[in-house]
Amino acid sequence: MNELIKHARELLESGEVAAVIGYRQVSAKRTKPVIITDPEETSALVFNEYCLNNLAVYLTKARIKLLCKKNDKVLKLAITAKPCDVHSIVALIQENQIDRDTIHIISFNCHGVAKDFGFDFNGDNLASKCITCETHKPLYYDKLFGEVMETPQASDTAIARIKEIESMPHNERFEFFKGEFDKCIKCYACRAVCPLCYCQRCITDKTIPCWIETSSHQRGNFAWNVIRAFHLSGRCTGCGECDRACPADIPLSLINRKMSMEAKNLFSFVSGRSLETPTLVGSYNEKDNDELFM
Amino acid sequence: MKIGVFICHCGENISSTVDCPRVADVCRGYSGVEYSVDYKYMCSDPGQNLIKNAIHKYDLDAIVVGSCSPHMHERTFRNAAVSAGINPFMVEIANLREHCSWVHDDIEASSRKAIELMRMAIEKVKRDKPLTKIKVPVTKRVLVIGGGIAGIQAALDTANAGYEVVLVEKEPSIGGHMSQLSETFPTLDCSQCILTPRMVEVHQHPKIKLMTYSEVERVEGFIGNFKVTIKKKARHINEDKCSGCGMCITKCPIKKKAYNSFEEDLAFRPAVYVPFPQAIPNIPVIDETVCTYYKTGKCGMCLKVCDREAIDFAQKDTMHVADVGAIIVATGFKLYNIEKKSGDSKYKGYGEYGYGKYRDVIDGLQFERIASASGPTSGEIKRPSDGRVPKKIAFIQCVGSRDDSKGISYCSKICCMYTAKQAMLYRHKVHDGEAYIFYMDIRAGGKMYEEFVRRAIEEDKVKYIRGRVSRIYEEDGKYIVKGEDTLAGMPVEIDADMVVLATAMIPQDGAESLARTIGIPYDKYGFFNEAHPKLRPVESTTAGVFLAGACQSPKDIPESVSMASAAASKAIILFANDTLEREPVVAKVNEDICAGCFYCMKVCPYGAVEVKDVKDMNGIVYKEVAYINQGVCQGCGTCTATCLSKSIELAGFNNEEIFAEIAAL
Repeated sequence: MNELIKHARELLESGEVAAVIGYRQVSAKRTKPVIITDPEETSALVFNEYCLNNLAVYLTKARIKLLCKKNDKVLKLAITAKPCDVHSIVALIQENQIDRDTIHIISFNCHGVAKDFGFDFNGDNLASKCITCETHKPLYYDKLFGEVMETPQASDTAIARIKEIESMPHNERFEFFKGEFDKCIKCYACRAVCPLCYCQRCITDKTIPCWIETSSHQRGNFAWNVIRAFHLSGRCTGCGECDRACPADIPLSLINRKMSMEAKNLFSFVSGRSLETPTLVGSYNEKDNDELFM
Repeated sequence: MKIGVFICHCGENISSTVDCPRVADVCRGYSGVEYSVDYKYMCSDPGQNLIKNAIHKYDLDAIVVGSCSPHMHERTFRNAAVSAGINPFMVEIANLREHCSWVHDDIEASSRKAIELMRMAIEKVKRDKPLTKIKVPVTKRVLVIGGGIAGIQAALDTANAGYEVVLVEKEPSIGGHMSQLSETFPTLDCSQCILTPRMVEVHQHPKIKLMTYSEVERVEGFIGNFKVTIKKKARHINEDKCSGCGMCITKCPIKKKAYNSFEEDLAFRPAVYVPFPQAIPNIPVIDETVCTYYKTGKCGMCLKVCDREAIDFAQKDTMHVADVGAIIVATGFKLYNIEKKSGDSKYKGYGEYGYGKYRDVIDGLQFERIASASGPTSGEIKRPSDGRVPKKIAFIQCVGSRDDSKGISYCSKICCMYTAKQAMLYRHKVHDGEAYIFYMDIRAGGKMYEEFVRRAIEEDKVKYIRGRVSRIYEEDGKYIVKGEDTLAGMPVEIDADMVVLATAMIPQDGAESLARTIGIPYDKYGFFNEAHPKLRPVESTTAGVFLAGACQSPKDIPESVSMASAAASKAIILFANDTLEREPVVAKVNEDICAGCFYCMKVCPYGAVEVKDVKDMNGIVYKEVAYINQGVCQGCGTCTATCLSKSIELAGFNNEEIFAEIAAL
């Protein structure tokens, strides 16, 4: 941990970066995001199994971008990112939201995180995304910390759940999602926490015309959640933050994961894994699967 | 807003299944509708006058016409509205014919549907905004792709009309297939003799910029304003210095390593070569794949003998950009390769005919070279295998063509004529020779064509056998051609010394990728599609791109030439205006909310999306947003659909208008 603090301190003191986006410990099994601009405050920085937040979401925020503008000079932003958070950063770079040259990625060899704050870190309480994770070492970074450690063993229940939902008859599946979306209170926490929901005006806030009903009515709930799923198809990197943030426990990551599986099966594409591979949306290849055309 | 509603009966086309007076009555009751009427033929002069008079009398701001498809008469009604003082984009058409009366037969139900369609259009027209047409300049220069006879003709015609032409040919010389032919039907005049003066004219024409050994890499822009990137392949000869003396060719020690493709592989050529003596430009090319210098770094014989120091081994491919207003595509054809392994999985070869195995089984173009005075045998008919004069030749028509089982169902059109010509030439040169032609039908439609075939049969004693050949095999130095005479109902066997296969015409290599580069459609064989099979045969569906010659379908020389002149005249018609008027249905970005993800840029098929910097009060760039070039945008709406934050609106079809239409249902 001292290495992380030392590195962050050097970055700030040298004036290379304007701010370090990181985690600070608030209790034994809980951390919070922190944005540090003063070298003296770097001592609060930590990295452990309770660093759940995907900090990439802050990279697109206007107020944080403003921190980087000093005397006509653009300073870098440093971010502590788990290998899976790096996927989000890659997606953001590909969608022109940030510039690789202005981001300093501090990453870690990762062996997983807890499913939520307050739980012991073990196989039973491993976050769902960590069970099938294949990137324990980040794909892109500027500084790498942490030892390589074994990920606790756990079984992937999400995939079984997806298969189960897939096998439901059409009307039953519809009823299932209607039931799930009924719980939605339109708090938009899923949107706030998603690094890829960076639009300055979300389509759901569009009023002339109002395509999506904003009340927590069944129709509006359905429209919002379906649009959200489609807008993230082929873009979602699977960080699972929406799922964690949802106060109504709607299984959002199941939907996202299902859409990601489709993208992978149909186009062999997984979002955020390579800066060189063109994004799924907006790229065309003659060999693309065209079964989707009606 | 005061809206006028006009319901057309279209004779009985609409009124037989839609109660037009009722639709007009119901529409009259909708808010905003000031006037509503039905009429037998709204597109007729009295019908249009009805509209114009109503606009004046009721002081209308917008009109909705319930009629046929907007494809048919949108322009008519817009013009009528304009002449009465209304903006043309304040006119909406509800398609009551193709979308309603023609596809339903229940009067009650289709009348209700017609009312719904009208209500949608009325709701939309309420939100329509007046739009003005966009004017874009026209670059009065043509790009001609392909330097065969079609490309040459198109280039000359356009240049003679006073416009600049860029003629791009992928081979080292222009001339195309016509330069390979011996004599041409039905007049038997020498192909080169009539072609080469045209080639020279192209070369000397001050308005034509000739780019041989070059290929079109990229096409951007739109009608009147294309930006074309052309790759000029390295000749390894400095064109400015070379005098065309040919010393390098004579001295090149590589003699028998590379087949001469101009001679259809019946001869060899050196590593440095011009395709044929009359080549335009008469500047050689060094073939890197066989040249010793590129393999070992030694030799350099050409370098030594060239007194102009024109040899440049280090020369690289170069890229050139040309701004043009129109493109004429004339990439021509090639012959279907009949070897068993055709190299193209689309087609099955003709292994049973032994092409590629038996050296004396050749295709039509190879025979042209053998019969040509400038060919490898100096015009004497000799067998490629041993140089003997064949005493009996079997010609087989429709090899590949009209044969679904081999992959091509179309007729290659020229084979009946050139086979008759080739048999005739053979009989003229080998007086005691026998010529047999296996045919399915003789298709000799064309001026003097039928007479020509009769002449082959009657005067030159060419023996026509109606039937297909099942197999060709070698026996005692002869080629046994086994077939059927379907008229006599008997099997036939010819022991020929040589066999000539009239193989199918297929599009030139790379036609499909070029089509994608330019953005024009093509059929399943790779022939480019015309915009309309009867009324727009030389236009592609992409505005400003025209077609000439065999790249569109199999064609003979006179057809290719007339198509080329037609394509040239289309380009010239386009250049008659200094500016083009374009529909103002273009996309526009709301810069305040654009998140700058640039998915729109990735999906735009026209390259109309650019990056725009948005600056704050101090002039500091604080974000990048998408900007749509109105001159380039074609209004397809792909960006609008892709934009996640719905920051792009298509003028004339904006969110509010579409939403109102849906809500009105």
